[in-house]
Amino acid sequence: MSYAYLFKYIIIGDTGVGKSCLLLQFTDKRFQPVHDLTIGVEFGARMITIDNKPIKLQIWDTAGQESFRSITRSYYRGAAGALLVYDITRRETFNHLTSWLEDARQHANSNMTIMLIGNKCDLAHRRAVSTEEGEQFAKENGLVFMETSAKTAQNVEDAFINTAAKIYQKIEEGIFDVSNESYGIKVGYSTWTASGGTGGGNTSAQSGGCCS
Amino acid sequence: MGGQSGPTMDSGDFFDQSEFVPSSKSNAPSKPVQDRSSSSSGNEAGKMVVGNGSPDSYKVVFIKDNVSVHPTQNASERISGRLRLIKQGASLFMTWIPYTVQGAARRGTSIMKSTEKDRNLYTIRAVSLAEMRSIRRHTPPFGLQYVIIVLTSGLAFPPLYFHTGGVREFLSTLRNHALLVRSNDDSNVYLVNDVQDPLQRSLTSLELTEVTPVSVITPAAEPPPVVTKEDDVEPVPEESITSSSMHTSVYRQGVRREASREIINVLEKFSMVTKFARDTTAHLFGESRFLGNSEMDLDRAPMRLRNDDASKSNIEFQTLNRPQESNSDGKEAVAKGEDETHRRLTGVEKEKIERGEKEKKEEKEEKKKSAEEEAATNVGTFELVDGTQNDSPALVWGRARPPPLGHEEWATFLDSEGRVVDPKALKKRVFHGGVEPNLRPELWKFLLGHYKFDSTYAEREALVALKREEYKVLQTQWKTVSEDQARRFAKFRERKHRVEKDVVRTDRTIPFYEGDDNKNVDILRDILVTYSFYNFDLGYCQGMSDLLSPILHVVVEESEAFWCFAALMERMAPNFHRDQAGMQAQLSAVSKLVQLLDNPLHDYFKQNDCLNYFFCFRWILICFKREFDYNDVLRLWEVLWSHYLSEHFHLYMCVAILKRHRRKIMDEQMEFDTLLKFINELSGHIELESTLRDTEALCLFAGEKGTACIPPGTPPSLPVVEVDAFPMSL
Ligand SMILES: Nc1nc2c(ncn2[C@@H]2O[C@H](COP(=O)(O)OP(=O)(O)OP(=O)(O)O)[C@@H](O)[C@H]2O)c(=O)[nH]1
Ligand SMILES: [Mg+2]
Repeated sequence: MSYAYLFKYIIIGDTGVGKSCLLLQFTDKRFQPVHDLTIGVEFGARMITIDNKPIKLQIWDTAGQESFRSITRSYYRGAAGALLVYDITRRETFNHLTSWLEDARQHANSNMTIMLIGNKCDLAHRRAVSTEEGEQFAKENGLVFMETSAKTAQNVEDAFINTAAKIYQKIEEGIFDVSNESYGIKVGYSTWTASGGTGGGNTSAQSGGCCS
Repeated sequence: MGGQSGPTMDSGDFFDQSEFVPSSKSNAPSKPVQDRSSSSSGNEAGKMVVGNGSPDSYKVVFIKDNVSVHPTQNASERISGRLRLIKQGASLFMTWIPYTVQGAARRGTSIMKSTEKDRNLYTIRAVSLAEMRSIRRHTPPFGLQYVIIVLTSGLAFPPLYFHTGGVREFLSTLRNHALLVRSNDDSNVYLVNDVQDPLQRSLTSLELTEVTPVSVITPAAEPPPVVTKEDDVEPVPEESITSSSMHTSVYRQGVRREASREIINVLEKFSMVTKFARDTTAHLFGESRFLGNSEMDLDRAPMRLRNDDASKSNIEFQTLNRPQESNSDGKEAVAKGEDETHRRLTGVEKEKIERGEKEKKEEKEEKKKSAEEEAATNVGTFELVDGTQNDSPALVWGRARPPPLGHEEWATFLDSEGRVVDPKALKKRVFHGGVEPNLRPELWKFLLGHYKFDSTYAEREALVALKREEYKVLQTQWKTVSEDQARRFAKFRERKHRVEKDVVRTDRTIPFYEGDDNKNVDILRDILVTYSFYNFDLGYCQGMSDLLSPILHVVVEESEAFWCFAALMERMAPNFHRDQAGMQAQLSAVSKLVQLLDNPLHDYFKQNDCLNYFFCFRWILICFKREFDYNDVLRLWEVLWSHYLSEHFHLYMCVAILKRHRRKIMDEQMEFDTLLKFINELSGHIELESTLRDTEALCLFAGEKGTACIPPGTPPSLPVVEVDAFPMSL
């Protein structure tokens, strides 16, 4: 299938926060609670459209367990976007965000777009991290923030698409050298090669979702 | 045949340029050769005797040197020759003429007398395409490519091995001249002039019993072929082979039968000859072993393909490779073979070997490019006659797996008090055939080390009771933690939570663990939490539930499953250590093995920054648990736990799978990302049996050199016990 761009995403965050469920919800539009825990990494992909351009998202769903970190770090390489996920019902997953962020900053390219996601927002009655706290953390660290539910699909679509929109915007602004694949962006059919960098065209990248 | 005598003969054979077209050429893809047309005259179809001065011209449309027949497993007995396709009028003929004794002798080479006869026997002077029924292409991931040609008469030629590649070109040339249809049943089988008439196909036992390899039956069935001058002449110059040699020597039965595909299979099995091939990369695998093989065979009568003789060659093979009782993985035996060989080599011969090796190194540089092309299939390999003893330690590609070990046979392994008399034999049996599902619960306890092989029935019974109590005690340690206590016990809560969130995400599609409130999921949790108290330092890590799940599924009884799991973890715990040293050790061993067994692939990984082998991480961490369906995992784990050929069989398996896909990996220029994705997506698409066979071959083949790639103590070896070591600081 042809695409104008391909973006590489990674999903990171503590084990059990719902990374694999988010991916499945986004790619297959379903929630499967009996999904196997992730060892190493799993892959997903989906086409989206931004600014009328088909964009392929290739998503790396990583294992959250601490002891796998040395492996998962190698997956950051060349990711254009990251979803950093915590579980709003488990405070410790929020507390670990700093260390995840450190990892990302250290091992990913500096222009990687990071979306902070507080997942399982359907479990409001068990909430252990308030929305404000999430917003605050995102603000302090220059992240985009969103609360989602992989179970009800709330905001899942937007989380992925808004991240892509941000990346697209950066391309339009010429922040990325798209010919350099270490940014996690591949240019698809050749017509679009020219639009990399400062190329003209409209910059209205928003896909119409809500955001932060 | 080879340019040197004795030990180096085989390699000399490969590298002796004088005999063949220059290496650059012979390694290049064979192109149909436009031969100077010369005069010839056709005879009746299928039989062509071409005399001088005939008006008809013929054209060599394909020529390939260094195509050989392997009458026995001994590399030294390989008969090399030249394969040609010759077009005459509308007909196409295939010839395969071995290189001559005299040719070799003239170059000061001695050659076994017996092979002269063999050469006549195996020579294919001219077989018309009209006589061919099928051609099967074999392109094993690590071995020589070869083809087996079955004739409409029901006869089969022995496999023709392409030492410098060219099978594809051979087939495509054929396709240009004849109707070649890929079989629906097997994409590697090409049906020649296939008449699609199912009614004509018959499969009778009569036909099968009449099947005999062409080369064996020819002399008896027909007057021996006219021995033409060419047989005694070095066949190098194209012109030197006059077409008069091209009369058919194929034994023909009065009635031509339509061989069914099943027949083809059977026929091919008959044509299987033992072989023990080596190649350009063989220097990696310990020259002496190979050289020794040929050297030792010099004073033996050559072995001919025959079912009865096949076992003889098997025995000989075993003398080289049969693992010793004292040794659990057969390494010693190989070493012994080498020693013996060394003893037998005279100083002169040794010098020759050294010289040969030096020359080879130089050649290697030259050939690097072509070697790279061929490496996939050139890591020499061995193959024994189909249907020989099941207990042969040697690999047989295409050998059916022996039936799994059942209760009745299991009883024969035990003495009257229940001790396993010969654990080695048992392991071997399990390695090759696996275990019947209903015997697994008992046998796994032995394989995992929970039961000792030398324990009696009574001892085991006592052990079970004792261990049940012990398990209960362990479980009580955490089951009695009250809610109030747990509230002040974060570490416990956390640990329990980690297990709980994972057992509900483990194999829930398997009926045994399916559905809400599944009791077995609770047992899974209880065992894992208990284990994390039993081994508090290690605790629970992801991947453990994957390892426990099949064990509980098989063993069922909770306490027994726990102790089996604990025994497995004695070996596997390093996989889960926080520092990942155990995983790193295994990944680096895989890297070394690839370097040994497929150097071009190693170079490729190096160039593409893939040497960390992280793409094998999941394979190793949980022993391929996620790569096969559940039942295959059970089958695989038995093989691994038998520790028969190697404790690190799984590492060889990584190499086998990578090798199988090496072409794709390199052709598509996969980098770390794409490679990782590719490997991940292999899950569920790896064929277990053939992978096991490939792995077995690799493992045997790598021998000592393979073992040397794996440092002692690499998991899942039991940790090296240091007698006076200080207790580990906590
Ligand atoms: N109620 C609710 N449960 C969820 C949601 N997302 C995930 N879960 C549950 O949380 C558990 C963990 O989800 P996963 O997606 O497997 O977690 P993960 O982050 O991929 O975990 P690792 O693979 O171990 O790193 C599962 O049992 C899901 O049923 C959600 O949005 N709402
Ligand atoms: Mg996951």
